[in-house]
Amino acid sequence: MPLIELDKIAKSFSTRRGAGMLLGRGGLADKLRGRNQGWFEVLHDISFTVEPGEAVGLIGANGAGKSTLLKIIAGVTAPTKGRVTVRGRVASLLELGAGFHPLLTGRENVYLNGRILGMSRADVDRVFDDIVAFSGIGEFIDNPVDTYSSGMFVRLGFAVAVHSNPDVFLVDEVLSVGDEDFQRKCRERIGELRSQGKTILFVSHDLSIVNTLCDRVILLSGGTMFVRGTVQETIDFYLRQIGQKKGIHTIASTSIEAIVSHGRISAFHNRTEISATSGFQVHLRSMGFVHSSPSADWNVVARSENGCVAVGKMPRLPITHTWRLQLSGSTLTWAIEVECERPVQIEGIDVNLFVKNSFTHWQYRDESGMFPEIAPQQQSYLEVVPGDAVVHQTGAWSDDPNGPSPLSVEVVGNAKPHRLQWSNTDYTVGCRVLQVLFNDLGPDNVMPAGRHELITLEIDLGADRDRILGYRAKYVRGTALTDGDLTMRFADGRFSLEWRGEEITRAVALYSSILTHNIWNDSDKLHWSYVDCSGSVMRVTGRSRRFPFAQHWELDLRDGALYVTISIEAFDDFEMDEYHTSIGLRPEYDRWQSDHELGAFPPFEEGLEDWRHANRDYAPGTTIKALSRVLPSVILRSTASDIPFRMTALNTGATDNARVLQALRTPESGRIRLAPGRHLYFQGLVRVDGANSL
Amino acid sequence: MSSVVYSNVEGRGFGRELRTLVRSRGLLWDLISKDLRARYRNAVMGFVWAVLQPLLMMLILWFVFGKIFGGRIASVSGQEHSYELMLLTGLIFWQFFASALGRATTSLIDNADLIKKVYFPREIIPIASMGNSVVNLAIGFVVLMAMYCWIEGSLPGIGLLWLTVVFGIQCVLLIGLSLLCSSLNVRFRDVGYAVDVALMMGFYATPIFYSLEDVQHAATNYPMAMSILSLNPLVGIVTGYRTALLDNAFPALNQIAWPILCSIAVLVVGVAVFRRYSPTIADHL
Repeated sequence: MPLIELDKIAKSFSTRRGAGMLLGRGGLADKLRGRNQGWFEVLHDISFTVEPGEAVGLIGANGAGKSTLLKIIAGVTAPTKGRVTVRGRVASLLELGAGFHPLLTGRENVYLNGRILGMSRADVDRVFDDIVAFSGIGEFIDNPVDTYSSGMFVRLGFAVAVHSNPDVFLVDEVLSVGDEDFQRKCRERIGELRSQGKTILFVSHDLSIVNTLCDRVILLSGGTMFVRGTVQETIDFYLRQIGQKKGIHTIASTSIEAIVSHGRISAFHNRTEISATSGFQVHLRSMGFVHSSPSADWNVVARSENGCVAVGKMPRLPITHTWRLQLSGSTLTWAIEVECERPVQIEGIDVNLFVKNSFTHWQYRDESGMFPEIAPQQQSYLEVVPGDAVVHQTGAWSDDPNGPSPLSVEVVGNAKPHRLQWSNTDYTVGCRVLQVLFNDLGPDNVMPAGRHELITLEIDLGADRDRILGYRAKYVRGTALTDGDLTMRFADGRFSLEWRGEEITRAVALYSSILTHNIWNDSDKLHWSYVDCSGSVMRVTGRSRRFPFAQHWELDLRDGALYVTISIEAFDDFEMDEYHTSIGLRPEYDRWQSDHELGAFPPFEEGLEDWRHANRDYAPGTTIKALSRVLPSVILRSTASDIPFRMTALNTGATDNARVLQALRTPESGRIRLAPGRHLYFQGLVRVDGANSL
Repeated sequence: MSSVVYSNVEGRGFGRELRTLVRSRGLLWDLISKDLRARYRNAVMGFVWAVLQPLLMMLILWFVFGKIFGGRIASVSGQEHSYELMLLTGLIFWQFFASALGRATTSLIDNADLIKKVYFPREIIPIASMGNSVVNLAIGFVVLMAMYCWIEGSLPGIGLLWLTVVFGIQCVLLIGLSLLCSSLNVRFRDVGYAVDVALMMGFYATPIFYSLEDVQHAATNYPMAMSILSLNPLVGIVTGYRTALLDNAFPALNQIAWPILCSIAVLVVGVAVFRRYSPTIADHL
């Protein structure tokens, strides 16, 4: 027998409340004269039943009558017309802490509230400790509740309600109360209730939770109910229905449809949704809180059939999002920009592309694999592939022929330092997510005022699986180049050289450093982007976390030499005091030779941390060489004829214990000034010659 | 689980109403005990107030009407019972009635947050709101009994049983009025003010600091007074208490017939009105 039966429910409210004044509009005098007050119907002809163990979602815009319907089911108010029958005890999580008396202690209120929710004293005794533990009230349980913070109040109310073990739970947007941690606990608890087979009637604006939790969804619109075949279809219908308003725009081509709706993008390919219900959205992490783009006030400022510009102002941060979307073919280009009115504390920004859990496979770097199943006990995001490498193309696809079409995501143009990461979400959200994580947006996590272009993503909603698999070829595992006895390995910003499997470099190995504002900026500290290998050539870009420049390294290992071309890209006018490109070598190298001189490296002095020059003549040259009795000779040579380099030999401090060959560039006078754009920084080679030992 | 817990169309006869109340007695007790515990919390003297209040009230009435205007009130002198006992008997039962009705009238509005959120039989709220007054009455009654023993030098006899009967009539009247006023007050907040005014007038229109005989004396000058007074069911009730306690006799039928009639009529109307309005109370709060 159904737990809840609603039969042709209608509910009307008088347009005025109360009896009205004797003579006022709609008052007694008007009534006597036969002027009737107006009625409006908030619910009209609602009929449905809820069987035991079902989870039913109620969705709809504000004012659609969701809460009124819950109140009718809870018995709080009676319908004007129709019949409602509820068999079993109903606990509403809609009004937490109802009937708490401010002067009574938490303990007394738990018992009273339990009773109001239909528990006996013994029932409350049994779960009392659980209630206190869940609410996290602790020793405050014996203090009067008027000393509680509003968060504690709500937590205690929620704890009593979920432990009252009713037959039906009515849940109304409770997930929007409390702090982050408590919200997570609530979601877990609701997930648990769900897996215990409890009957739940769920009202929420968070469509993704409705989608995962509910067996059925009822859409209320203007007081009338709509049900489409499946949960997803009803939600889709709702999204389409609200698609007419100011924060919403639909971009469509023959096969693709993208609905930009108040800070969330829902993407469809051939009418099947690619995105999960949460869609694609941006999360700003600030001071321990996550501010999601759907919470902003959105306005679509420019629209066309295949694109739009949406601007969303965050309610609690001085930040405005600007999204530019353009659809061409099956590719949706999404340019994300944020503007800070003033410097803002931001620990990070996550661009989250939530996609259906029907995507079974991922591609990342040089790998591909299957997404694990999302288990009901999963309560946090699970990284499916370590997102450490900086990758600029990735994708996912489904092995189900009826599943969604493959998805490819590519980072184009200049992006702030970021990394891409595939994860499974927690069970309640229940989908895959590609996260673009920006964790380094300014010194001390303060994002300066002004406009910041974050990233531009090309999202191909109808991609080709083979093309996605092809991305793997670009990423060579270990990112190493080998030519005969010589291997160049790149990891964590460090370029090292190996001769017959043994490393001959030491300390920072091959690196460059720029002196500006009295700070040496070593290349191993740059934010290194993806590594692009093709044949014998490796290309990699490192971007400064501090100053407006990036270095583009191109390394080509052939004919027993590593050909190095470094260019520097200035994003702004940029000045350098001096800079160098160097290679740190093992201490077995004991002699050096420049264009002008020949000498021995001095011995390392215990306790001396300063670097010591070995040569005396600093006149510009092209070559500097290190020699050893046991290791192959190493030559650093500059081939950029128009840039003068002083080729020098140095000892590092005793701790690093390395010999250094250096190509140093100092300005003739003043500083080296760079205009915005790309400039040559160093061009040359490192030759390792086994035959040329001493 | 398959029992219907709530249905908007199920018949709600008088018997059913009573059964629902009995079923919800746990909640009723909890609400009453909440009220009592919260009542004197944060008050240094706590429950002492419950004793002090009727005593001080009696003291002032005794001083004003017994001593200052003593000569003009017949019952002060030349009566077989002490004025103090008479005064206190009338006073505690009146105060019980007045505070219970006053509180019950606003009870639904006072508990709006509960009513708007949870389903339970709404009747519980006005009834539970009277708990406090019952406790005050009990305290006042102990004081009355002590005074009785001190003044009369003996324990009250069979009259206590008759007193219970009169109390029963008063309770029926009170519950009927409470249901009526509380539910009407939600729609028409005028009711609250009207009840306040009526109670203020009732204090003088009920023989509390005077006796019915005093009015009969005066009725020679003001013939209307007696007939107006006789419409007030509390006149019969308060007089009935005195007859029972002080004369150890069952009140005359002509004395309590009108109160009984009124009580039943008010209860029927009260229940009917409450049932009519209670399902949608939440919409008007």
